[in-house]
Amino acid sequence: MPHVAGAHRGLDIWLIQRASALVLAIGLPAFLLYAASQPVLDYAAWRSLFVPLPAKVGGLLCILAVLVHAWIGLREIFIDYVHHLGLRVLLYFAFGVLYLGCLIWAVDILWGVQ
Amino acid sequence: MMQRVFMTKHPYYLNLLQIRLPIGGWVSILHRASGALLSVLVPVLLYGLMLSLASPEGFARVRGFLAGGPGWLIGLLVSWALLHHFLAGLRHLGFDFGWGEDRRRARQTAWLVLSLALALTALIALGSL
Repeated sequence: MPHVAGAHRGLDIWLIQRASALVLAIGLPAFLLYAASQPVLDYAAWRSLFVPLPAKVGGLLCILAVLVHAWIGLREIFIDYVHHLGLRVLLYFAFGVLYLGCLIWAVDILWGVQ
Repeated sequence: MMQRVFMTKHPYYLNLLQIRLPIGGWVSILHRASGALLSVLVPVLLYGLMLSLASPEGFARVRGFLAGGPGWLIGLLVSWALLHHFLAGLRHLGFDFGWGEDRRRARQTAWLVLSLALALTALIALGSL
């Protein structure tokens, strides 16, 4: 199996995986508490959660952390189970494009709530 | 003599159906499986978020989907995956800081992660009946 990356990337990736995990370890419980502050979670209340700018920024940060975390996690799985290098790189690329699309989509969803 | 020791039946190929995983191994493989499931479902979850925020009808559709039938089971599966992945991830962050690395403590936290994720999923199931 030829090497396709510099030897220093492993540590970067290891760190980014922990950093994104930390963002979510704080962000997800924070969002649950924020949502639980609504007495009744009907459509109006659900929508109102996403109106303030800090909620949009925090929400987008969490979605970005999910996308980065998922991309790196899938990379680990592809390295372990997809031994054909071309297919492995293609899968990694495809999910990269998919997740970039998801990020742009998430901006549209969050900033569409006014 | 050494040669004979090495040639005895020895599962050098890790077939998951043949080897007995220790509890930490189960938590680990489920951490990976739940992560893979959530990774693949990211666009689906975003679609649900979009629908739920777009209009009262969309919100009602998402609610209705999660309220019963296959949607209810899918919601529970995703909830379990998220809980297990989250808790197992906290356990790993603990290891990174050197906490809980000895065998006894690692086994205790592995059981804790496995059972807490299942118990919380059961609570969600009961709460949404």
